[in-house]
Amino acid sequence: MAARGSRLRRYRRAWVRHAILLAWTFFIVFPLYWMLSTSFKDSGEWVSWPPHWYPHDFTIHNYRQIFSFSVLGEELARGATDQAFTIWKALGDSLLICAVASFIALVLGVFLAYAISRFAVGGSKFRHIILTIRMVPPIVIAIPILMYYAIMIPFTTEVLFGARIILFDTYFGLGALYVATTLPFVIWMMLSFIDEVPYTLEHAARMMGAGRMYTLRRVVLPLVASGLVVTYLFVFILNWSEFLLALTLTHPEVTTLPVLLNKFQSASEGRLYGPQAAIGTVITIPVVVLGVLIQKHLIKGFSFGMIRK
Amino acid sequence: MAEIVLRDLVKHFGSVVAVAGVNLRIEDGEFLIMVGPSGCGKTTTLNMISGLETPTSGEIVIGDEVVNELEPGERGLGMVFQDLALFPHMTVFENIAFGLRVKKTDAAEVERRVRAAAEAMFIGALLDKRPSECSGGEAQRVALARTIVNDPSVFLMDEPLSSLDAKLRLDMRTELKHLHHRLRATFVYVTHDQAEAMTMADRIVVMQGGRIEQVGAPLGIYRRPATRFVAGFFGIPTMNFLEGEVVAAAGGGDGLEFRSARVAQPLAASTPSEAAGGTATLGVRAEHVRVSPSDDGAGRVTLTEPLGDETLVFFEFGGAAPLVAKVDPDSPLAPGDPVAFDFDRDWCHLFDAGSGARLN
Repeated sequence: MAARGSRLRRYRRAWVRHAILLAWTFFIVFPLYWMLSTSFKDSGEWVSWPPHWYPHDFTIHNYRQIFSFSVLGEELARGATDQAFTIWKALGDSLLICAVASFIALVLGVFLAYAISRFAVGGSKFRHIILTIRMVPPIVIAIPILMYYAIMIPFTTEVLFGARIILFDTYFGLGALYVATTLPFVIWMMLSFIDEVPYTLEHAARMMGAGRMYTLRRVVLPLVASGLVVTYLFVFILNWSEFLLALTLTHPEVTTLPVLLNKFQSASEGRLYGPQAAIGTVITIPVVVLGVLIQKHLIKGFSFGMIRK
Repeated sequence: MAEIVLRDLVKHFGSVVAVAGVNLRIEDGEFLIMVGPSGCGKTTTLNMISGLETPTSGEIVIGDEVVNELEPGERGLGMVFQDLALFPHMTVFENIAFGLRVKKTDAAEVERRVRAAAEAMFIGALLDKRPSECSGGEAQRVALARTIVNDPSVFLMDEPLSSLDAKLRLDMRTELKHLHHRLRATFVYVTHDQAEAMTMADRIVVMQGGRIEQVGAPLGIYRRPATRFVAGFFGIPTMNFLEGEVVAAAGGGDGLEFRSARVAQPLAASTPSEAAGGTATLGVRAEHVRVSPSDDGAGRVTLTEPLGDETLVFFEFGGAAPLVAKVDPDSPLAPGDPVAFDFDRDWCHLFDAGSGARLN
C-alpha cells in the first residue's frame, strides 16, 4: 500500500512539475511566436480584433521592406504608410560597433583578469567590487555621458586644442561606452577561467626560460580558449541588444538595430508592427543561435569553470 | 660547474616564517634530498633555488654567481613539479620541445633533441599523444624528458613521485637513481617520504620548522641522528623513546645509566659524563631491542606484525607507550605472552629532554 501511495505521489509531483514548466515555457515563448507571426502578417492583420493567431494572408512584404536597398518602388509601396526603412545601415552599424567594442573589451579584460588572478591586483575583494559597476542603472549614466559627449568634451577640446572633438553620435563614442560597460563582465567571466589554470604550468614555462607574455600566449590563453569565445559571444549579445545608451547618445548618423526598431512609426498607421516584428526577428535570430551554441559554456562561465587537465 | 651554496637563506610569508636561516653547500653532481614533514620549509627552499620565490634575505650562489636577481629561466636549472605541470593542450612532443622553442632553436635541432630525450626516457611512442592520454608513469617520464632536453646542470624535483602508486614509485626511484648516474648532474630533490630519501640520496638534509636539523649520508643519519626529531623521522617502525634521567650506574664505577620508573639501562662507556644529572630521552630502534619469553619478565606482548623477513613485536612494560622489537620471523611470541627485554647498549641514543639535541 505504502509503496503504491508513494509512487502515486511521485507521479503526481512529476505531473505538477511538468505542468508548471510547460506553462512557464508558453509564457516565455509566446511573445517570440507573436513577433515571428506578426512579421509575416500584412498591415490589416497587425492589430485586428479578434486577434489572428497566425497570419491569414501570409506575406514576406515586411522583410522585403526592411531589406530593400532603395526608396520603395511601386511593388513595395503601401500607399502613404510606406517609407524606406531599410535596415542595412543599422545592421552594419550594429555589427561594427558590437564586434569591435566586444573585441576591445575582451583584450583589455583578459589582461586585467590575469593580473587580478595572479597578482591579486586591487586586493582580495577587488574581483567582487568590479561587478558592482553593473549595479548602476544605465539611465543614471546616460544623461551625464550625453552632457560630456555633446557639451563638455567638445568645449574642453576647443579651449585646449582649438578643435571640437565630439563623441556624440559617433562610432567611437558609443563603442567606447560599450567597452566600459561590458568590461566588468569580461573580467568576471575570464577570472573564473584563468583561476582554473594551475600556475605550476606557468612556473614550468618560466623555468624553461619563457617570459610572461610568451607564457600567456603559449600556455594560458590556449587553455582558456573556450572561455575567450564564450565571453566574447556573451558580451557581443549584451551590446547587440543594448538600447538605452544607443538611443540617448546617437542620432542621426549612427543607428543601431534596437534604436532603428524604435523608429518604425508613421502618422497614419501608428506603429508599423509588421516591419518592427521583422526587424525584431532578424535581431533575435543571432542571439538565439549564439545563446544555444554557448549555453553549456555560459553555465560554466558563471559557475567558476572547470578545465579538463 | 653546478655547485650551489645557500647562505643565511630566510623566507617570510607575511608573519609566517617558512625558512629561518638555511646554510647549505650542495656539491656538484650529488643527489641531495631535502626531507621533512609538510610545512618544514623544504619546498620553499627549493623554490628559492629555482627563482620562483624571492628570498626575504640571504644569498643563493650557483657556480660562482649570486643568482638572487636572475630570472628562473636564466639560472640553468631544470625542474620537475609535484603535479608534473605538463601542458595539457600540447602533445608530448610539444611539451618536451617547449624549452627549445623558447630559445628559438631551429626545427631540425628541436626534432633531434626531443627524439633523443624521448628515447632516453623510453617514451618514443608517445610523442603524438596528449598528456591526458598518458598513464601516471608515462606522464612522469614526459616531465623528466622535458627537463632533460634542456640539458640543465641542476635538476630540481619537488615530490615528483607523490602522484604515483606504490609499485610504480619504487620502480621510478631506481630509475631516477640510474638517471642521476648517467647524467652526472646535480639533483636537488624534495620529499616528505623518509624511505625515498634513504634509498636515493647521496646526502640527506632533514628540515623541521624552517631550519636544517641534520645533514648527512643516509646511513649516517639513520645510525646517528643528531636530534630526537631526526631519530623519530627516520626508520620504520618509529624509534622507541623513553623519558627518564641519566645517573651514575648503580654498581658504582665510572659508568652511567639511564633510569626511568620501569627501566634501568646501562649506557656505553663512550657516553660523555656531561650527560649525567639531567632529564633525557632514550631512543632505541626496534632492531636493538631484545625480547625473550620469560614468566617473570616485565613486559607483556600486545601485538605481533609478521613482515615476512622479520616480525615486529609490540609489548607493554608499564611505561607511557608500548615498545616495539624486531625479532626472528620464527619467534613463537604471541599476544599475551610475558617477555623480558633489554636494549643493545651500543645503540642507545640519548637526547636532551628539552632541546632534543643528541647527548652521546
